[in-house]
Amino acid sequence: MSRVLAIARNTVREVVRERMVLVLAIFGVALVAASQVFSPLAMGEGRKIVTDFGLAGSTVLATMLTIFLGSSLLHKELDRRTIYAVMAKPIRRADFLLGKFAGLWATTALLLAGMTGIVLAVVTISYHETPWVVLGALVLTLAELAVVTAIVIFFSAFTTPALTAFFTVATVVAGHFAEDLHYFGGQGGSAAVAGITEAIYWALPHLALFNARGLVAHGIAVEPERLLFALAYGALYATASLIAAGAIFERREFR
Amino acid sequence: MIAAWVRGRAGAGSGLLALGACALLVAGAGAVHGAMKERLARPPVDELLYYPSGLLVRQASLGYESAAADVAWLRGIQYYGEHRLTDQKYEMIGHVMSIVTDLDPRFLQPYIFGALVLAQELKRTDEGLALLEKGMRANPDSWLLAFETGFIHYVCRHDYEAASRYFARASRLPGHPEYVDRFAAFATQRSGNEGMAILLWKRVLATGNKYTQDVAARELRRLGAEEGTR
Repeated sequence: MSRVLAIARNTVREVVRERMVLVLAIFGVALVAASQVFSPLAMGEGRKIVTDFGLAGSTVLATMLTIFLGSSLLHKELDRRTIYAVMAKPIRRADFLLGKFAGLWATTALLLAGMTGIVLAVVTISYHETPWVVLGALVLTLAELAVVTAIVIFFSAFTTPALTAFFTVATVVAGHFAEDLHYFGGQGGSAAVAGITEAIYWALPHLALFNARGLVAHGIAVEPERLLFALAYGALYATASLIAAGAIFERREFR
Repeated sequence: MIAAWVRGRAGAGSGLLALGACALLVAGAGAVHGAMKERLARPPVDELLYYPSGLLVRQASLGYESAAADVAWLRGIQYYGEHRLTDQKYEMIGHVMSIVTDLDPRFLQPYIFGALVLAQELKRTDEGLALLEKGMRANPDSWLLAFETGFIHYVCRHDYEAASRYFARASRLPGHPEYVDRFAAFATQRSGNEGMAILLWKRVLATGNKYTQDVAARELRRLGAEEGTR
């Protein structure tokens, strides 16, 4: 466990070096500017719009950072040949991957929490009411980030950074169309097509489960039952992705 | 050679173990997803609300439908504002508000604003009422939508019986302010009374947005109740 934590700490340091504070600063300035521009145009719906844009913006930024930073994490270690020094130590490859996952997730989670804090502060200052319900959406988005991080780690275990980013974006987008795929697969096609679409449907991440942004923008709290289900789904899916990544990475030959 | 064979067997064994664990966990995740869908399922009417025009926009928004609804709302408001200052033709307002409400069925203002413009400005009362009906199907607990439906029935359609029914419904829903009870009582006693219409428009003047307040001020002037209007 201590080895995993050491790798996670190193990953956090490595990712933080990519000027993450700059992202936070840009996000804060953009949100304050957006709240000033949109509030007078929104006909009394400024609070909802600032909350919506703030939560959507923070989720997009955190997801993009996860994909683009995560896709090169393993490749950098291979490129700089630092992985040989790590592997020479009594550490399993699966632990190495787990450390990378934990470090990347912790960093983007911290960033997301920071951005959500900015949303809370801007709404509180502008509309004199703190929308605490956004914390429910934050918890769900943290779980979503864990799933996306695990998917990035899975693809990076066997392919190049560019393909990792491409496959992850494709998986995330396809996840949003999973319900349609399931529906059309079951509509009059052959049994084989129905079986394949069914398998793809279950294999794709159902990221919509983690989306409570629209709900909290209306001041509605996320139900504890929904939180529990989504967290359980996220934990199971992320663990499955990491086990698969570990199994592939164990067999990978470094050149 | 034997050592390599043993290592290979061990590798294959751990691979199978990983595969089995993955299958189990994905099956577990699937079971959780299935249970969640069943327990937290929305009423089927929500599904139909997304057809036909909002479906593509909703799909293209990739989970950011609430923010997409805000963009459509801002665009709709700009559209109304631009045409109000020029040709006063708002033909697309119903379509835009329909897309906004397809994307975010809980967003109440587009139902109210869209219905008022359709019924009062374009004299398309049925379309305005249909938009409010859609809102009430998606938000059955909203006293505001029931009240606005009563309002449109009273001032645009002069259907005082229907208005009275909707005001009464609004007065039974949670969170309604005290004035809703008063309107519910007045509507049955004062059907067709101009004083009631003046009271209703004064409420829009006091609580509406910039554009709906302008419409209310104009209607109050027409009814000869200019006191308190700009």
